Amino acid sequence: MKKIKAINLAMPVSAIILGVIASMLLIALTGVSPLSVLETLLKDGFGLSGKVAPLFMTLGTSTPLMLTGLAAMLGFKVGVFSIAQEGQYVMGAIIAAWLGASLNLPSPIAVPMIMILSMAVAALYGLIPALLKVKLGVNEIISSIMMNNIAAYVLEYLVAFPMRADAGQKAQSAVINRDYWLYQFVYGSRWGISFVIAVVLLIVAYFVIFKTGKGYKVRMVGQNINFASYGGIRSDKVIITTLTTGAAIAGLAGCMEVLGNYHRIMTGFSSGLGFDGLSVAMLGMSHPAGVFIVSILLAGIRQGAQLGLQISLSVPRELGAVLIALVILFVAVSDVYRPALERLLSRKERKNRRKEG
Amino acid sequence: MNAITFENISKYYPSTEVQASDNVSFSIRKGEIHAICGENGAGKSTLMNILFGLERMDSGRILINEEEVTLRNASDALAHGIGMVHQHFKLVPSFTVAESILLGTEEKPFISKKSEVEAVRELSEKYSLPIDPSALIDTLPVGMLQRVEILKMLIRNVEILILDEPTAVLTPNEVGPFLDTLRNLKERGKTIIFISHKLQEVLDASDRITVMRKGKFIGTKESKETNIYELADMMVGRKVLLSVDKKPSVPGETILSVENINVTSSSGLKILDNVSFSVRRGEIYGIAGVSGNGQEALIKAIAGEVQVRSGVIRISGKEVQNLSVEQKRKAGMAYVPEDRVHVGLNVEASLLDNSLLGYEDEKCFKKGMFLDEKKLRERAEKMISDYQIYGSSVDGLVSKLSGGNMQKVVLAREFEHVPDLLIVEQPVRGLDVGSIEFVHKAIIEERDKGTAVLLVSVELDEILSLSDRVGVMYSGSLAGELSGDEINETNIALLMVGKKGGVE
Repeated sequence: MKKIKAINLAMPVSAIILGVIASMLLIALTGVSPLSVLETLLKDGFGLSGKVAPLFMTLGTSTPLMLTGLAAMLGFKVGVFSIAQEGQYVMGAIIAAWLGASLNLPSPIAVPMIMILSMAVAALYGLIPALLKVKLGVNEIISSIMMNNIAAYVLEYLVAFPMRADAGQKAQSAVINRDYWLYQFVYGSRWGISFVIAVVLLIVAYFVIFKTGKGYKVRMVGQNINFASYGGIRSDKVIITTLTTGAAIAGLAGCMEVLGNYHRIMTGFSSGLGFDGLSVAMLGMSHPAGVFIVSILLAGIRQGAQLGLQISLSVPRELGAVLIALVILFVAVSDVYRPALERLLSRKERKNRRKEG
Repeated sequence: MNAITFENISKYYPSTEVQASDNVSFSIRKGEIHAICGENGAGKSTLMNILFGLERMDSGRILINEEEVTLRNASDALAHGIGMVHQHFKLVPSFTVAESILLGTEEKPFISKKSEVEAVRELSEKYSLPIDPSALIDTLPVGMLQRVEILKMLIRNVEILILDEPTAVLTPNEVGPFLDTLRNLKERGKTIIFISHKLQEVLDASDRITVMRKGKFIGTKESKETNIYELADMMVGRKVLLSVDKKPSVPGETILSVENINVTSSSGLKILDNVSFSVRRGEIYGIAGVSGNGQEALIKAIAGEVQVRSGVIRISGKEVQNLSVEQKRKAGMAYVPEDRVHVGLNVEASLLDNSLLGYEDEKCFKKGMFLDEKKLRERAEKMISDYQIYGSSVDGLVSKLSGGNMQKVVLAREFEHVPDLLIVEQPVRGLDVGSIEFVHKAIIEERDKGTAVLLVSVELDEILSLSDRVGVMYSGSLAGELSGDEINETNIALLMVGKKGGVE
């Protein structure tokens, strides 16, 4: 058990270290000191000084990542490489923006209602590729890409025409009812109640997946569907429920971004948050704790690159994206160096044992 | 004169930490049939792969015709006159026999079909291995495919032929002619090395036998001077009971009844044709037959979710032919499938997870809404000690276990159900002597507890030593049913080839 855990931890950590080293080399090539870049990244990504502490802003931006990461993770767990979170996220946001601007109910009723309806619509949207996959064997990646495109264009249409707030301005919807805005712990940080909801969902996911019979079914279907079916697990049902649950969570992420952060939808609303969920789930080794840590890490790097590098060092903020991309690359090629890492770990273990003995 | 001499061959696999070959030294005489025996993982295949240039040894020397050679790859080996037939054939389905045999030997840029066919015909006549050179690989039975593989080596003028578990893929009827082929090749001066763990055929066919255990050379015996018990002891390192001790069965009421079931394939072909039989409490009903005669569909109809076109299947009186696997299990069925690596187990998961399948919704393993981990853990620990599962802890991955220990995990889990009906399919395929003994004993114990056991096997020995009654499948129907003194090799063999008149 210990050995398995050690390798699972060593993999993402070594990928991050290698990614950082590689990007520092890149930076050195441009003539800027890598150390000052690293320092700025840490200060502006995770620091506690300033009017609104960067760490709080990072926690705020990490919130939707945690949720889309969790959604992607559920797909991985049941053995389906679903990339449909992007579209589900957009669907959730659309419902939240529409209801948020048109409902006229007291907020204790309206806010939960908006959340539940956003999740329900996203779940239905996620049900389509899930059913296609299970009943007709349609490749989930292809159907997900289609579903994502449909959602993106529906959003573009809605904000350009029916939901457009005013004719002259940028294509965006009306601001939602102020009473429905989600509470932020530090004003202007985006860090608020939605973060708590995301963390609670991650904890719940951990217990459901690893400690209940339902979670057992999900894991067994994901690891070996023949085994699961042989033992009497209805694998079709398990895949469909898991994927739609993930879809609902991705929808909730979109909903809470509207209620807690943007307060409206506009063209280009998503900026690939759904896809980021895949990176988060992968780097987080498909584990809720991993998803939690990696979400904050990625959000911090992005934040630090945007605030610090661009403004104080005039290094393009895309460097943050390069760093993240390199880390993902090192995870993707990890099969190459995994055996070496395993050998290193087992050698250490043997040495320890010898010491003990 | 020695054709091959192994001197202190060692090979270590760091990734799995296995010493596959440990200072092995012995020699093979020119023109003999030399069998290499050992349990799974004894290092037989590794040694042969080294000889054929597929693996590099860490240290040691190989001498061919008393001269040291370096074998870096298969072409090196072929150049020294060594050929190998692998357990899993490497043939192209859409090729003809002639094309398959000649592939890679073409010297001219253009080939003529006629001369190819002619060359193969000549070869097959020379070695008296009749085959149709223009037949498609796709259409040939396994025994013929093996013949193609052997001819493929012979046309390359090999003098030493290595066969890796050649009989594992053959049906019982094909084994006899195959052993004749080996003797025939020996008469023509070839040296034959073959790997097997079926002791009887090794004794029948070989001149000398080398036994390996855990990567070590144990000894070489003249086949005429040894016997099955001595070989088994050498292989396992302790005394083994080869025949299973079994009390006469005391059958009770009928548990499984199969009545006139018919199954057709999606293309409309009849796979099962009016099959009827029943299994009673406390007896082992063996389904014998050459594989591919409908056993698979029969098991799927009983234990899986294959729709029967007509007919009724009952477990303890309950109609189950249209029920889900989950409901069938609830009705008292347990099932040990043929493919333990892909179906019977989730090898990527821990032993604990593997022991839980089928119980994940049981109330007694729950604490509130959660699984009762402590209880499950204790239960898995108990399985490990009761079934003597070696090689992993409760949290260890099942993939680290040997074949025999994997099968014990499956048995432990399925027997825990306290089933009324137990279905076991090829329970000892690929297992070593020690594990076979264990599995067979466990199945008989289960019978004695009052379970109805349905055993499906293509191994005649297994059927003969375990079954209280036998049904023989032939081309989708039950060719006959035997019980008591009628159960013997001749009767079963006759029914297996469809000769109904064999039993009166």
